[in-house]
Amino acid sequence: MNTNPDETTLALWLEDELHGDELAAMEAWARNEPEQLAAREELRRWKGMMAAALPASEEPPYAEFFNGRIRTAIHRQEQEPAAATPRRFSWQSVLMPLAACAGMALTFWIGMNSRPAAPEIDVAGAPKAIPVDPILYTPERGVKAEWFSSPEAAATVIVLNGVAAIPDSMDFSATAATGELREIDATAGVDGNDTETPDL
Amino acid sequence: MNKSSDEPSNPTREPVGSADPDAALSGPDEDFRLVALAQQGDLGSYDALVTRHRGRIFAMIRNMIHQEADAWDLSQEVFIKAWNALPRFEAKARFSTWLYRIAHNVVYDWTRRRKIESAGELNDEIFERERIDSGSFTTPAGGDSPDETMAHGELREKIEAALAKLSPEHREAVLLKDVQGLAYKEIAEVMECSIGTVMSRLFYARQKLQTMLKDEYESR
Repeated sequence: MNTNPDETTLALWLEDELHGDELAAMEAWARNEPEQLAAREELRRWKGMMAAALPASEEPPYAEFFNGRIRTAIHRQEQEPAAATPRRFSWQSVLMPLAACAGMALTFWIGMNSRPAAPEIDVAGAPKAIPVDPILYTPERGVKAEWFSSPEAAATVIVLNGVAAIPDSMDFSATAATGELREIDATAGVDGNDTETPDL
Repeated sequence: MNKSSDEPSNPTREPVGSADPDAALSGPDEDFRLVALAQQGDLGSYDALVTRHRGRIFAMIRNMIHQEADAWDLSQEVFIKAWNALPRFEAKARFSTWLYRIAHNVVYDWTRRRKIESAGELNDEIFERERIDSGSFTTPAGGDSPDETMAHGELREKIEAALAKLSPEHREAVLLKDVQGLAYKEIAEVMECSIGTVMSRLFYARQKLQTMLKDEYESR
């Protein structure tokens, strides 16, 4: 080798990574390069020191147990094939979202172009609505509920038959929600006066 | 771990690439032979691979994170991930290089998790010398005399302390090259970078280490 080697080739030679013709060429070149020969020896000495102090291989503690744990983990994985098996590409995964989108678009189109089944009743000043007989629920057995509606009178009446008469003595105020007096501030009224409570 | 009839055979494992079992069986490389069998679901062969490589993977991870217990767990994680990825191993690289690559990812994921978990706390202990369990030092392999063993043990402590002061990238480059003996190209594959980056990291890492270990280095 008459010319200087490139940086990578020189580095590989210094690291003893060259073989065959490349190595022979570099060795021939290095005969006249004492600095490079010294650098290679220095590097060999360094690597020797590192290798002597730090072993490349150390058996892990409890080596058999080490292997056993790996075997157990693999066994466990094998018993869960569904989770461990990677998902493969399927046309279904592409078609399903497309079908869903098409369905939504079709539903929207039908909704925009369909007419109501029942005739509309025009009530002056009121929003148009489809008249539907209400379903009435009664909380007590024996009670019958009837519903009457008069669009002309703009009135709706619900009649409950079978409900027990309400006694005159019943105090409706007892069933109404009333505010109770509550202490606003525990530190108030220290002078002996009653604490003022806002009207509720 | 010996192969037994109750071991799972994984019928879904379909090898990809050049790991032809027949070719591998006649090949000189025992790793490739075992890999080919393991790719067919032979857990016994995979167990043999674990036994062959666990020492290097454990040593590499332990030197990276300086915690023996975590290194033990992470090394197992490497082999479990390798088993799951085995159908995709194409035998273009050495099996050991492929394992180092998985170990690289496992260690960096672990470091990232540790940083997130300890967010807001003093997390400088990750990769720091102070985290080294003094009881975890093991005797270097080889037939050293007691004096040599002691000298190597002391040197090892000093080298580990110096390594802990390097960035993870510099430390990994030095460990892969000077301890594990990988080639530049292999290190580039493991660390997912160019050969030029490997050369640069190695140059600066060695420079820093030699400065920190000046006394020990010059006395030898």
